[in-house]
Amino acid sequence: MPHASGYFRTTYGQDTRLVDTRTQRVAAGAFICALIALPWLANPFVLDLANQTLLAVVGAVALMLLTGFAGQISLGHAGLMAAGAFCTGILSKELGASIWLTLPASAATGALLGVIFGLPSLRLRGLYLAVSTLALHFIVIYLGHEYETRRGFSTGIVIDPPRVFGWELVDGRAWYVVFLIAAGGTVLIALNWLRSRTGRAWRALHGREAVAEALGIHVPLYKLLAFVASSTLTAMLGCLFAYYRGFVSGEAFSLFLSIQYVAMVIIGGMGSIAGAVMGAVFVTLFPYGIEWLVGLVSEALPEMRGLQNAVFAINYAAFGLVMILFLVFEPQGLAGIWRRVQAYFLMWPFKQKPLSGGGK
Amino acid sequence: MADQRSASVLSVDNISLAFGGLTVFHDVSFEVKPGELVALIGPNGAGKTSVLNCVGGIYQPLQGSVRFGAALLNGLRPSRIAALGVARTFQHAELFAHMSVVDNLLIGRHLGIRSSFLGEALFSRRTRDEEAAQRRAVEEVIEFVELERYRHEPVGNLSFGLQKVIGFARALAMNPSLMLLDEPSAGLNREEKEDLARFILRVKHEKGPAMLWVEHDMQMVADLADRIVVLNYGELLTQGDPAVVLADPRVIEAYLGTPA
Repeated sequence: MPHASGYFRTTYGQDTRLVDTRTQRVAAGAFICALIALPWLANPFVLDLANQTLLAVVGAVALMLLTGFAGQISLGHAGLMAAGAFCTGILSKELGASIWLTLPASAATGALLGVIFGLPSLRLRGLYLAVSTLALHFIVIYLGHEYETRRGFSTGIVIDPPRVFGWELVDGRAWYVVFLIAAGGTVLIALNWLRSRTGRAWRALHGREAVAEALGIHVPLYKLLAFVASSTLTAMLGCLFAYYRGFVSGEAFSLFLSIQYVAMVIIGGMGSIAGAVMGAVFVTLFPYGIEWLVGLVSEALPEMRGLQNAVFAINYAAFGLVMILFLVFEPQGLAGIWRRVQAYFLMWPFKQKPLSGGGK
Repeated sequence: MADQRSASVLSVDNISLAFGGLTVFHDVSFEVKPGELVALIGPNGAGKTSVLNCVGGIYQPLQGSVRFGAALLNGLRPSRIAALGVARTFQHAELFAHMSVVDNLLIGRHLGIRSSFLGEALFSRRTRDEEAAQRRAVEEVIEFVELERYRHEPVGNLSFGLQKVIGFARALAMNPSLMLLDEPSAGLNREEKEDLARFILRVKHEKGPAMLWVEHDMQMVADLADRIVVLNYGELLTQGDPAVVLADPRVIEAYLGTPA
């Protein structure tokens, strides 16, 4: 995004900074302080929403790296989360393993599955790739179910809250801290990759594979790297999710969850980490917003009380509608809207940026 | 003969290419010496771009060998060939439209960057210093091709003429010892062509890579090339000094047809 006039960079290092003007630093600092203060101001319901949102941010950013930047479509996101969750459930059930073992083990499982999920991408593209990742989703879920039934946990695996440095993580606030670190760390790592060689290679192979290859980028290697990076983060998310819920079951990782993550990436805006975060917030809070609206309507109009019973159906329909509206009217998603708002204030009182050559 | 071969940057020996029953070219041989600017010309469909693709590894020749210095290029993947020091430009520029000029050129620096995947995840001090150093290297290229005012512009917003120059700059950013230029002047207006000619000559004199240059603008070829290789319907028609080649009746016939 261009800056207002009067700001000039004087070192090459400044070109790679994430925040480089004082206003940006102050805004980022205020945002982080607000996030840290939130659990002390929020009630348990809001805190749970915040926790869910932070978890979704991890998943959405991981998928954004793969789909929005490296251009590889995946419908296996829920399957990868399930892999991390089952890995955690099985290890803590069978070996009584602590989070210090289950989290790295989930990451390793995710990395391995990333290679397997990624191999078809060397041959397949677009829809065909999506279908192959879908197949792996079902394989993971099947294996999970198989474990559940064989070991007699057919209703799901119950796991104890983890102990971290002598603290037992049961309280919503404690989890909030963990998730805030996880989400913040994921966003930071993603931004770091994107401002260095790996991220540029991903964006290049998204553009044109043959051209990327001619520029010296080993395309299969970087594709697999994108799958591995994304899957590792997603499986770690699955691990945290399992602990947070205290319960692992295949039903929690339906295909609809994968679709929701794809929706976060699309609604947020392809090719933008800020978009992934906004998409995660939007998609997570959306059903609660609809529920609240339905509640308002049925309170105001007693004859509409029947709506309360149909709230699930309304939710699905509204979700579908929003997806279509974004695809048709705002393909750049929430990030695109944000960029336009920024440009409006930056350009004011003018409407448009002068044609190229304005530079900065 | 053996001495001559080792002295050339690129030696193409009797290469042939066919897609199924369609022969693209056959038995093409030529050499490019260090620092030499060799033009590869011929009518449309003569197989010029396919020859470049065989050198760059995008196609594999069915027969014959392509050598870059002492290294045999047959069977290597394009990224490996690029790592040996071969850079190319594309007829339609083929830039990454959503990325800025700087980012496009940084992609050209890909092979020269020393940073690890994990170091990048944490943006370690080493990664940061490396990125700043690469940014500086890119700035030198930007200065060389006079693109300073467009530095942070997404390349999709720029004119086709500028995009071609950026494509050339991206290849230059790779610090190649052989540049493959695929019709760099196609689609440019007179002024842009003159700029391009200037850049090509400056690169030749100041940076010294050998260049294999596919071109349709005969005036430019006559003015700039050290040597010309002519292809016609997949056959090597002739090669040699520009003045001699361009006056060759067979070359004129290939371009203009037989007099009625």
